[in-house]
This record gives sequence, C-alpha cells and structure tokens, in this order.
Amino acid sequence: MLALVYFIILAVIAVGAALCVLLSRHPLYGALSLVVSMVSLAGIYGLVGSPFLGVVQIMVYAGAIMMLVTFVIMVLNGAKDKRTPMFDGVSFFIIPAVLVLAAMVGFALLRSTMTFDSATVAGSVKVTSETLFNMASTGPGYFLLFEVIGVLLLSAMVAAIFLAKRHLGSVISENTEDKH
Amino acid sequence: MDIIESKTWVEWLITIGKFAFCFVPVLYILLLIPMERRGAGFMQDRQGPNRSYIKIPYFGKIRLLGYVQNMCDGTKLFFKEMFAPKGANKFLYYVAPAIPFAIVFLSPCVIPWFGPMVFEWGGKTVRIAGSIVDSDVGVLLLFGLSSLSAYGAVLAGWASKSKYSFLGALRTSSMTISYEVCLGLSMMGILLLAGSFNLTDIVNWQEHHVWGIVAQPVAFFCFLIASIAETGRAPFDVAEGEPELVAGYHTEYGAMQFGLFYMGEYSHICINSFLIATLFLGGYSVPFVTTETMQAHMGGSLAILFGVLAFLALAFLHLIYRYSAKLAKRAQSNKMEILQEYKLYKLIAWVAVVVFVALGACAWLFYNPANFVVNGFAVGSLATAVGTALIHLLVLVVKSVFFCWVWIWVRWTLPRFRYDHVMHLGWKIILNIALINLVVTAVIAKLVGGN
Repeated sequence: MLALVYFIILAVIAVGAALCVLLSRHPLYGALSLVVSMVSLAGIYGLVGSPFLGVVQIMVYAGAIMMLVTFVIMVLNGAKDKRTPMFDGVSFFIIPAVLVLAAMVGFALLRSTMTFDSATVAGSVKVTSETLFNMASTGPGYFLLFEVIGVLLLSAMVAAIFLAKRHLGSVISENTEDKH
Repeated sequence: MDIIESKTWVEWLITIGKFAFCFVPVLYILLLIPMERRGAGFMQDRQGPNRSYIKIPYFGKIRLLGYVQNMCDGTKLFFKEMFAPKGANKFLYYVAPAIPFAIVFLSPCVIPWFGPMVFEWGGKTVRIAGSIVDSDVGVLLLFGLSSLSAYGAVLAGWASKSKYSFLGALRTSSMTISYEVCLGLSMMGILLLAGSFNLTDIVNWQEHHVWGIVAQPVAFFCFLIASIAETGRAPFDVAEGEPELVAGYHTEYGAMQFGLFYMGEYSHICINSFLIATLFLGGYSVPFVTTETMQAHMGGSLAILFGVLAFLALAFLHLIYRYSAKLAKRAQSNKMEILQEYKLYKLIAWVAVVVFVALGACAWLFYNPANFVVNGFAVGSLATAVGTALIHLLVLVVKSVFFCWVWIWVRWTLPRFRYDHVMHLGWKIILNIALINLVVTAVIAKLVGGN
C-alpha cells in the first residue's frame, strides 16, 4: 500500500521529467529534466527491491554521464541555442516509431505474468554479484561478458585519446611542467 | 496498517528520533567556522576574530571566546539583499545554491551513529540499526549523492553569466569527478576486507579485527588526500583560486545564497570526516574495548565517560585560569571586562566538573544492570542500549572533530597547487596507488583465506 503510493509519486515525477526533456526548448533544461527523471527512476529501482541498481543509476547516469552531457552543452555553446524548431521533417519518422515501441512494450508488459512484491529483495549487492560473477560452468557466464565489456571500454578510451592527440597535431601542448 | 503496529512505541520514537542526525552536518558548521578562524589565528600566531560581543545588563560583555563573531556574520548574511546579476538565468541562479545544501541533509543517512541497539522491550528483543537507512548499499548511496552535489557548482557557474564563475565551475566539476574516482577506489580495499558496503558491518569488522588505518595505511592516506581535494579546499582550491578566478563559481553570489555554498562546503568537510572516521578509524567503536565488554560493565563505562568529560572541563578551567593570570598582569584597557567574562566561564566549568564527577560516581556505584545473551547478541535493558549509543556517538564525534581539525591544519599549512599539478596528482599518482593497493589487498585477502 505504502509502496504503491511511493511508486505513483516517483512514476509521476519520472514521466513528467521525461516529458520535459521532450518539450523544453533549452538544451540545458532538457538535460536537467533528464537528471530528475533518472533520479526518480533510481527511486523506483529501490522500491522494487533493487537498491544496488538504484544507487548505480544515480552514480553512473545521474552523477557521471549527465554531468558530462551538461558539460558538453555548456562548453560547446549549446546552451545559447533556443531557436531549434521542436518538430521538423525527421519527427515524422521518429514519433510513430516511439509510439509503436511504447505500444509494444505496453502490450508485452500487460501480457506477462509479473508479480510485484516489495518485500522480496531482487537486486541487493549479494544477489547481483552472485549472478554476475557466477563462475560455475553451469552458470549464466555473465562474468565473461563483463570482462569483454571492460576490454571494449578500455579500447574505446585508448582510441579516443589517440584521435584527440592526432587532432591536436601531436604537439605536446600541455607539458608545461617539464620546462620548470 | 500492520507496518505501524508491528513496532512498539519506543522503537518508533528511536527510529524517528534518528532523523535528527540529518542536522548534524549543519550543526557542525557552527563548530567548524570558529574552529577554522581561531585555528587559522593560532597557526599564524595571531588572535583571530574575537572582538564581537553580546552586552548583558548588570554583568558586562560576553564574547564567548570569539563565537559571537560567527553569529554576527550569519546575521549579516541573512539580512543582506539577494540579487541576480544582469543577464543571469534567474531560475537556475536561484536554484543552484540549494542543490549542495539539500544533499547535505541527505548524506548523513547512511553513517552509523552508534552500534545497533539491541534491547528487551515489551517481552521481545528489539534491534534498531545505528544509521538512518540501514541498507546493504550503504556507502555507495553516499557517493551517489555527493556526485549529485557537483551540479550545484556547475549550474551556479553557468547561470551567473560571468567568465570567472564559469571557469570556476568547470574546474570544480572536473576536480570533483576526478577525485571521486580516487576516493571510491581507495575505499575499496577496506570494503573488500569487511566484505560489505554497509558501514555498520565495516565498523563491526574493525571492532573485532583491527582499525582500517592499520589494515590499509596506504588507502587511508589516498582517501584523506582525495577527500580533502573533493571538498575543494586549500591546498586544492584551484576552483576558487583568488589570484586567478576571483572566487570561482560563487563570484556573483551574495547574501544567504553565498551562505548556502559556504555552509555546503563546511558540511561536506563534516560528512567526509565522519566517513574517514567510520571507514578507517573504527567509527563509533571505542578503542581496545568491544561493545559487549562495554555493555557488561555499563556502570564503569559511564563512569569513565563522565570522567573524560570532567577532565575536559578541568582542562578548559586550566586554560582560563592561566590566561586570566597572564591578563591580570597586563595593562590592557578592557582587562576588567574580560576578567569579568572569565568569572562566568569559571563558574560554569566548575559546576560542570562537579556534575560530571557526581554523575560518574553515581553510575559507578549504583548502575549495574544485568545482561544476558540471546542468539549471540548481548541483550540488555533500554537504559543500557541508550547509554551505549551515547558513548558510541561521543566517540564518533571526537574522531570526526579530529579529522575536521586535520582539514583546517592542512589548509593553513600547505600552499596551493597549480591546476595541472592537481590533475597530475589525482590521475597519475593517487589513482595508481589506490589501484595497486586494491590489487595487493585482494591477493593477500585471498591468500590469507577471507571470503
């Protein structure tokens, strides 16, 4: 009962903030609404018994990634852009796609037999780590994917640094401390 | 509503009363600002601000050892006009200072203020956790919230439409993000040893093994440096380096909006020092004594507690007597006023000494409650549980105040780093040390045979 009340409050905030992302003209307000949406989504994760997932959502998405997005909007002068039209030619393709996707997800959710019980803990630290790092040969083997993703992110980071260096003309421009 | 009926009124009282701990960082501001100012004065061999006073009729002036100065500053900030510079984004400009300050109220919820209270009430055993939110994600929640508080600085810098503010905001957020990585990684070693994210479990592990500072000395120093840097104070205050950026992201702010940033900074120090005390200095646990031993000899423990308090009061008296003897010889014009004020302090301190000694003696002689053990937990009466909680709380406060002093100490001792030096230190030195420390800890823990 109490969980339902909390769920309704958080869901209204999450959906409302998500609508604000769509409707706000200012890119920075859009980014901030996305932060609010993500934080309330984290609250919903906590409510369905996955506090770990909720906290990771706050740390990674709301804290780190959205901070980067805000940064980019500010530094690249995106924050001055107020004249982009809300709808243009591309919207004719995107809006139906979003609607169809929403209908499909809604249909799938209605048909599935999901039960909600706020008392069971589905995503605590222990449960998550045991599922993720189950090394048994009969287990799901997610740990392999975890390692692969780690290597992928590392290679992406190396590639980004390499590209940035080449873009700067491979001049060691920031190494001022060697001269002192 | 079975959730309400499932607990007795005492449980509800304590559970709701624990929310008062949300105000601890705000109360610490009252302690930290005088400590900072008089501490700075002490380090630079001067007096520090101590001239403001409250005039009491028929008695004289009361300066409260310089404390009144802070009341004056607070009053000034409260009653100044709030204004926004021309061209600022009004909404974000007014919202930005509230973000770090709101986080301040949320952050204390995972810190264990005392050990789990286990006591007998109404025929059943009651267990109340020491933190407001007793979740197994624990310290991660704290980090998630503190990563959100950087939005305050970023939005303030952008919304005030000033280049100094904007550069300050960029520096603040880049430094917060880079040092949060170091903070998280250096903490991982102790989490690995304790095998839990929950701070109560970590303190419990430290109580029964060794303190984190002994088990993880390298991680302790990494964590200390990273958390000093994360609060953005000297020697890491590149975000508001006065010669370069006026005052950083809050250049354009005045009145209580500036006050909110200021208070947010001091509360951040408070939270971080509580975190260091909890992770590396045994948190609420009393040195060399386990909670079980303490509860078995509750009267004696309380007597020692009151003895320590009486000793502190006597030390204060010693200071006052020594200083008033020095002052009596001088030819200072306001000598009589100060001596009059010291008479009041002497009276209060002597009363406190007498009260503490009497309370300690009473506890020693008359308070010997019986304890029994149920399922491995010592279960006592409510009074024992509350007494233990008080001792725990006091121990935690003493440890955290020491770390607050470390913050002030560092600030007034070391010169400021340049921006690229700070980044170099964070990413190339501390991060690597923390990573190596984590790997070594993991290998040793596996070899020794932990989980």
